[in-house]
Amino acid sequence: MLSRDDAKKLIDQILSYSKADDCQVTVGERDLAQTRFAVNSITTSGRSAGVAIYISSTKDRRTGQVAINETSEEALRKAVAQSEELAGFAPANPEYVEPLGAQKYPEIPAYDAATAAAAQKEILGAVKAAVDASQAKGVVSSGYYERTASALALGNKHGNFGYATGTRAEYSLTARTPDGTGSGWASAEGHRMAEVDGARAAGIAIDKAVLSQKPRPLEPGQYTVVLEPAAVSDLLQYMFGFGNIFDARAAEEGRSLFTRRGGGTRVGEKMFSEKITVRSDPFDARNPGRPWVGTVQADIGGVGQFFFGGGGGAGPSFLPAEKIDWIEKGVVKNLSYTRYWAEKKDAKPTPLPSANLVMEGDDHSVEDLVRSTERGLLVTHFWYIRYVNQQTVQVTGLTRDGLFWIENGKITHPVMNFRFNESPAKVLANVEMLGRAELSDGRIVPAMKVRDFTFSSVSDAV
Amino acid sequence: MDLTRRRFLELTGSAAAAALANELYGLPELNAQNSGGKPSAALSELAEVALKQAKKLGATYADIRINRYRDQVVALRSTPDVANGKINHVPAVRDTGSFGFGVRVIANGTWGFAASRIVTRDEIARVAAEAVAVAKANSALQKQPVRLAPVKAYVDKYTTPHQRNPFDVAIAEKLALLEKANGEVKAVPKVFSANSVLVAKSEDKFFASSEGSRIQQYILQCYGQVTAAARDLERRISRQRNYSPSPYTAGWEAIEEHDLPGNGRRIGEEVVEHLSAPPVAPGKKDLVLMPNHLALTIHESIGHSTELDRALGYEANLAGTSFLTPDKLGKFRIGSEVMNIQGDRTLPRAMSTVGYDDDGVKATQFDIVKSGVFQHFQTIRDQAHLIGEKESLGCCYADSFDSIPFQRIPNVWLKAGTKPMRLDDLIAAVDDGLLIDGRGSWSIDQQRYNFQFGGDAFWEIKGGKKGNMVSRVAYQSRSTDFWSSLEATGDQRFWENHGLTSDGKGQPVQINAMSHGSAPSLFRQINVLLTD
Repeated sequence: MLSRDDAKKLIDQILSYSKADDCQVTVGERDLAQTRFAVNSITTSGRSAGVAIYISSTKDRRTGQVAINETSEEALRKAVAQSEELAGFAPANPEYVEPLGAQKYPEIPAYDAATAAAAQKEILGAVKAAVDASQAKGVVSSGYYERTASALALGNKHGNFGYATGTRAEYSLTARTPDGTGSGWASAEGHRMAEVDGARAAGIAIDKAVLSQKPRPLEPGQYTVVLEPAAVSDLLQYMFGFGNIFDARAAEEGRSLFTRRGGGTRVGEKMFSEKITVRSDPFDARNPGRPWVGTVQADIGGVGQFFFGGGGGAGPSFLPAEKIDWIEKGVVKNLSYTRYWAEKKDAKPTPLPSANLVMEGDDHSVEDLVRSTERGLLVTHFWYIRYVNQQTVQVTGLTRDGLFWIENGKITHPVMNFRFNESPAKVLANVEMLGRAELSDGRIVPAMKVRDFTFSSVSDAV
Repeated sequence: MDLTRRRFLELTGSAAAAALANELYGLPELNAQNSGGKPSAALSELAEVALKQAKKLGATYADIRINRYRDQVVALRSTPDVANGKINHVPAVRDTGSFGFGVRVIANGTWGFAASRIVTRDEIARVAAEAVAVAKANSALQKQPVRLAPVKAYVDKYTTPHQRNPFDVAIAEKLALLEKANGEVKAVPKVFSANSVLVAKSEDKFFASSEGSRIQQYILQCYGQVTAAARDLERRISRQRNYSPSPYTAGWEAIEEHDLPGNGRRIGEEVVEHLSAPPVAPGKKDLVLMPNHLALTIHESIGHSTELDRALGYEANLAGTSFLTPDKLGKFRIGSEVMNIQGDRTLPRAMSTVGYDDDGVKATQFDIVKSGVFQHFQTIRDQAHLIGEKESLGCCYADSFDSIPFQRIPNVWLKAGTKPMRLDDLIAAVDDGLLIDGRGSWSIDQQRYNFQFGGDAFWEIKGGKKGNMVSRVAYQSRSTDFWSSLEATGDQRFWENHGLTSDGKGQPVQINAMSHGSAPSLFRQINVLLTD
């Protein structure tokens, strides 16, 4: 991978071409090895190394941004000149904040040499094991395994420089019964490939496929649900990821769940169950993050912000990473402030909680949660969740790949999938019991037992 | 492909790669508006390196795509400054590009793929060898050898028809248009903020195959949008409304045909009305759906359910499968007699319109649904034979030079009605219903049965007349129930095309764009929900 010294040289080289007042550069390199399979056979696989260079130039508060994947001297010179030309055309940004000077970034061990070195051979082993196990159980499997290694560096004309490396491996598998009435899913992930237990995931998905055959219909309505960690992670990304729900500016401008009636925010209010404690923790060894927060676009507003009506960008650019509490025992502790908005409101700039989320759990297994449930539903994971009302965080979506009825603490039979209309904010208020927290889709979350979860219609899909 | 430190530095210092790139894609004639010309000889020579190398190493088929991409976004947000209440106009100007090639081979009856951003002869030879090695390794798990539907060897050049390239339009001109649009939105009392954006995209695509095709294409897209937001702090409610004329494969002239500023004023007024609009009374209602709303319903319920790879289980781990299985071809009734759906990669200005797909198959048009009955899946070369088809219908696409091409939705559109029918005629036929404009939330299950859609604006229809706005609306249905309830669709005068720009599918996820056209249409007795 691109070393710290080479990254510094490359960024210094790019900055040396700059004639602007400010110039911020990020350089990213990613090596991806991936294999996809379906119908018990490999469909596509490959390995690729990608490079991306982002250059943001500002003169008299006028900013232009250029991204390229070429690294020749000519291409780099041209890109810097192009960003300055674009800056020349842009009007002055009244909300521009100067780039940070030199920062002291923490060391976060997030790179695993064995994972970075692993290629198709190692991945094929996991795929073959899944295919063999599926054939032995008479189910049809499809899945995907990828491992990435990356290096990321940033620098600017104000003397700041940062460098980080990371690795990650992700595996998921969907097993379906040949009659089309049963489907099971499971995943495994980690920043070290050695932590990804593909055989265990395959076994879970295959067993669920067999158990979920010929599901029975159930009337829509409000039910107690036991959400497996993957289902919790699916839901919580709409509270702590997409939508910038924790953006302080949105709250103060009246566009958010955290808007106080009449103006102001709801920081300090107990809005959720006291069982709920959520923080961002890039230092958690189960899911290590980057040494800094934000992106080169963050302080001047990403394009997505323009579509979704946000204001002022997604977070502060390149402040050193830190642990931040968002909800403590049900009380809202912090909202996210861009550097611009923090300056306006005399607050500390803080990132959005989209990365390295940790929700505290309890010392219970999923089976414990099921055992404690008189009547309810066990949810494997969700599918196609979208906001219905971003302000109340009401979302809709569907259960998928294993929905089971629980009666007197035991799973009795599979149930046809449901569409739900529910707010994760209400889910966090209605929690009755938590399982042990584990890594799922980039978040460390527990299984949850939740009362009064609203299912609005039945889906025929398996 | 291991990008070692030594190799990274070597390539970083390589002026040769950049010079070659400029030579290949800096030529003005590439963007010339002509079809039927000859592709670049320089690109063809480079392609030969990959094809020969792959063949030498035992591949029975090979193709190479050498592509350059460019995206430009110019945006403007106008929001009150908290300190003084004056409006802050916050611009964003961004240009991104990428360049490289991907080689795809069949060896030992199995696909292999590799890609690189370094477009040099040595690197092309190395990557072609890697693609063959990948194929041979994977062949250990291959059940049946890959079989490709036949295709002619095309030597051609295709360019999106356009009058003015949007990349040639000055940033200042674009920003002036956005300032004007935001100004119109903000001129409406009680509007809180305005956002607007203009996007231009281009793909320079070169494709060569071991079967003799040499195809060069320049695909150009552009679109714009303006959004108004209003809020009520006492009631803790905020609403948004946008004007989003269809994204097009076309030049800047398509942007000029739509009045962003004039519509800015209208949506400003409508978002304020929406803020105080009463909640909808839920229940079964007749729906009149505008083309810019129906586009997404067509996309989710028909566009995705008629992808052959889904029906065969190739997407089971992510995007899902389909309620339409191959045994239903030619006989399964999806909807009413009024329902006629086309798959189409030739439709002028539509977002998936090209000269040739990424298999080198010439763009075509085909029936997906005829008088309510399912006729054809969308297909690509390596899957057509699985349902007994002799030719691919040209639906192969990769979103980057380093992405693996696979089956993607073409333009899928609902034919206009054959009888004279205006929007007012459809409204007049409704006693208790809703008129829905634009896109809101959308969600559908993994086999495309059960869906829920919102919208951007909703008006009550009572006694055949359009009434006031209502709020908090969503509707739920099953795909076949919904399309069976289609009673009438407007005639050709009211048919509009609407592009979608970011459809995700595959692992790793790829993005593609397509258009879904229709006239305003009437659906009877759909379940309407009151959301919170």
